[in-house]
Amino acid sequence: MSLQLDILDQLSNSVIEGNSEAVRRAATEALKTNLDPLEAIENGLAKGLKEVGGRFERGEMFLMQLIMSGEAMKAGLQVLKPEILKQKKQLTGSGTVLIGTVEGDIHDIGKSVVSAMLTAEGFDVIDLGVDVPDQVFVEKTKEIKPHILGLSALMTTTRTKQKDVIEALKRSELRDVAKVMVGGATVTPEWAEEIGADAYGEDAVDAARKAKNLIKG
Amino acid sequence: MSFSWNRNALTLSVKEVKRRLEYVTRSGSGVIIKMSKEQISADLEAGSKDAAERGHVPELTTDELDCVLDIMVEPTKIVGIERGKEIVLSRDGGVLKYTGCTRYAGAPISKEQGVIVGERIIGLDTMELGHADYSFKPCKPIAFDEAHHMENAQMLSVIPLFYGAMPNLGTYYQSLGGRWPTPTELLKEGKIKESREVQERAAEDLIRDIVYIAKIMDQSGADGLNMDTTAAAGDAEFYASLKAIEQVKKETNLAVEVGMAGEMILGMHCELEYQGKRLAGLWPHEQGNLIEKAGASIFGPVVNTRTTKSFPWNLGRALAFIKAVSKAVQIPIHVNMGMGVCGIPMTEIPPVDAVTRAAKAMITIADIDGI
Repeated sequence: MSLQLDILDQLSNSVIEGNSEAVRRAATEALKTNLDPLEAIENGLAKGLKEVGGRFERGEMFLMQLIMSGEAMKAGLQVLKPEILKQKKQLTGSGTVLIGTVEGDIHDIGKSVVSAMLTAEGFDVIDLGVDVPDQVFVEKTKEIKPHILGLSALMTTTRTKQKDVIEALKRSELRDVAKVMVGGATVTPEWAEEIGADAYGEDAVDAARKAKNLIKG
Repeated sequence: MSFSWNRNALTLSVKEVKRRLEYVTRSGSGVIIKMSKEQISADLEAGSKDAAERGHVPELTTDELDCVLDIMVEPTKIVGIERGKEIVLSRDGGVLKYTGCTRYAGAPISKEQGVIVGERIIGLDTMELGHADYSFKPCKPIAFDEAHHMENAQMLSVIPLFYGAMPNLGTYYQSLGGRWPTPTELLKEGKIKESREVQERAAEDLIRDIVYIAKIMDQSGADGLNMDTTAAAGDAEFYASLKAIEQVKKETNLAVEVGMAGEMILGMHCELEYQGKRLAGLWPHEQGNLIEKAGASIFGPVVNTRTTKSFPWNLGRALAFIKAVSKAVQIPIHVNMGMGVCGIPMTEIPPVDAVTRAAKAMITIADIDGI
């Protein structure tokens, strides 16, 4: 029992440190000691990530460390997920997110921080990059069928494209395929409501929180 | 039949009326809302507390909160300050605010005419010229054309005239047509070391370009250089800006004004330091400290507006941060106040009721030198 608790601590601390190799070793050890893989994820990996998220929000950890922790989390999931699927259990909280900066807008950093945060929270993130035409968002939504479509826009002149993408999804009868979350410096909750988005992400931490809520339904 | 009059009941009733009185204010997103005095007071205090927790700065005192509350509930749409407390008023973005067509006035006037409009019609205390593509890298190929406008404008005006641009380290990466691989793409591939290296190489290019443009502007008679939205691309950009300030001060006669992009320096690199201080995660008072050490003449701090909170909350927060800047920094502080910064709601045209209240509060409480 105490060995399993130690392993949970190792998983959590290694995620905080961003040490993928240590996470892989601890995850392998977890399986060897018959620790429930779901528990290893939820009370080991996810616990570490929650701490990382809190420190990032407080400005005690930064993007680089967030990404390293996200990579460490991924390394652990690679070891533990096959066992979960074998046991036919359900991993909560994960889903697919398609994200991009809208057409005409080349700002990347905020979207990258959100992507990193979502990855760290266990989401599969497909980043379409910047200056993404409406039609690409539509085609990729049809192809990938993500749980969430994230649209980023930094400027007041480009945030109108968020509305255009939502309208394009409606015209293609794809609006119900994914929940749409919008964000960016000039995006407000009122704008999100006006254009019919499902959620507004104020910052990376808020976006990850809202994404988890959208998945839970 | 006799009538008895309960004075206490009447007094309580008036108190109750005052308590329930609502005041027009704004949300962080600019929507007009109504709040009671108690609610405004509570939000001012909560915002101040948030700044104190995040930035490790002192909260606003009870007297200061009361003073700001009085400003917030003034019945007039526009508020002003007493004679003798006027501060310097300047403008970034060059003449783009007058000539830009996408979201500004779209006036068909030249840069030189824009300077005269700023000086003589709007009454600005300082102005700046800038390229339409307002970053240092795209200015380089046309620097001598810009210098020509600077010479003309200097001969037509008397106010201090700066040349402004954004360091915008992002323009040096391949995603925006630059020569270096994009760090965020490298990060996604797990290439941490490579990501740091390209940021350091791009920073060297940025320093060189800022100094190049500064020298040309100095020769054309510019009074200063304005570095706008500094550190937008994170700690590597902040590092480059600080090193550029050192060189500009050494090699030219220009004053250097530094306006920030955000309240906290993003840790895109995480290991860059300046004079022994790690740059990632620095808050406004810490940023100002380093900017002053680098040799800058004016510091323009920024505090970001939260659109999901009220204007009082955002103003309380901004005041606590900027008050700490005033205590930490000796050079003049020209707070960046506008769309979504330093308490002002996030709207394309900042509402005058919020702008004047925020400005008055900043002057009264945070002891700033300019806006």
